[in-house]
Amino acid sequence: MHSTLVRAQNVFGFFTTVCFVVAGLIALSDFSWERKPSSTVSVKDVQVVRGRPHYYSTKKEEYAHIRFNLNTDLSSLFTWNTKQVFVYVSATWPSNSTGPRDNEAVIWDTIITSPSADHLQNIGPAAMKKLVKSAKGKSIDPSRGKLNLKNQKAKYQITSPTGKLAETDDVVLKVHYNVQPWVGMLTWTPQVDFGGWKTMKGGVSKAFTLPALKKKKEEPKKATS
Amino acid sequence: MLSALQNPRQAAAQLLNFGLILSTAFMMWKGLSVISDSPSPIVVVLSGSMEPAFQRGDLLFLWNRNFMEETKVGEIVVYNVKGKDIPIVHRLVRKFGTGDEAKLLTKGDNNVADDTELYARGQDYIERKDIIGSVVGYIPFVGYVTILLSEHPWLKTVMLGIMGLVVVMQRE
Repeated sequence: MHSTLVRAQNVFGFFTTVCFVVAGLIALSDFSWERKPSSTVSVKDVQVVRGRPHYYSTKKEEYAHIRFNLNTDLSSLFTWNTKQVFVYVSATWPSNSTGPRDNEAVIWDTIITSPSADHLQNIGPAAMKKLVKSAKGKSIDPSRGKLNLKNQKAKYQITSPTGKLAETDDVVLKVHYNVQPWVGMLTWTPQVDFGGWKTMKGGVSKAFTLPALKKKKEEPKKATS
Repeated sequence: MLSALQNPRQAAAQLLNFGLILSTAFMMWKGLSVISDSPSPIVVVLSGSMEPAFQRGDLLFLWNRNFMEETKVGEIVVYNVKGKDIPIVHRLVRKFGTGDEAKLLTKGDNNVADDTELYARGQDYIERKDIIGSVVGYIPFVGYVTILLSEHPWLKTVMLGIMGLVVVMQRE
């Protein structure tokens, strides 16, 4: 059969096959790039205060406000197939002082896009212009993986379902990442070395204890700062 | 085409052929479902709440087994909420406790607030059983066809018609 329809069908079939093979090769190329990320995270300041989950709630819960220092070198995660790297810092703590750390909550996160994905970011026009300009002429910008944050305020205040958090012992901050490819497998911080992909060097803070509830009377002094 | 109508044996063969294509697709879908232990191993992104990671129409591959470790914070999961028929793709941001009773909280990367508002009335957390899979693979844009089909239902009829015609007109 050599009708137009059959030809069209063949062309379309070949086109999709080629697309999928190329996509597959690109996805596989991820494994050829070495990954050796490193980071250090340390706690700067912790406070535990009482508050409500939202404005209309009558429930009072304890919230931990954490400030931390973060230094990362994730530049090896940026390759031609990297769309974005999602970096997040989590706090983990045990439910009871003798048990394992079975609670985990993200306290801060950020999205680092590759220059090729900058236009997809949900940010204002001024910030977008600055972002695009920062990697002008580059399709891959590994320097974006280097973060250096000092005394960074947590984005999310952690709490627990019991509403109790003050004086919790053995709390640890951990740095994680999630690499979002243009096509292929999503990858997270590996637990063990996997070929050229090394585990995160550092990335765990020293264990610390959440302080006792902050007294209301101390407030006025700090309020001015 | 006309000869096919005149020859019932050939018409039957073509009908079977069409059935075979449909059942192969169905078997592959169900096979994947068994392997990944997920009722819906491939999903299409319908909203922009995970941008810039996922856009509308992107195809996600799910995995719902816990071989080495439990589903943990940072994973992007697809979950169902009671009373809503469309599953949601969001990132796990909090986990309290371990095992099946662990309390899980999700949030879309592109959303300001977490998903407490999206859950059922009075529900503050989801559980492992609400999750139908964690995202492990990604192909951009391919699923946009399904969005077009659901937004313009007449396209479905047209496509089915074309597919039927093509199969019937093939001689082999």
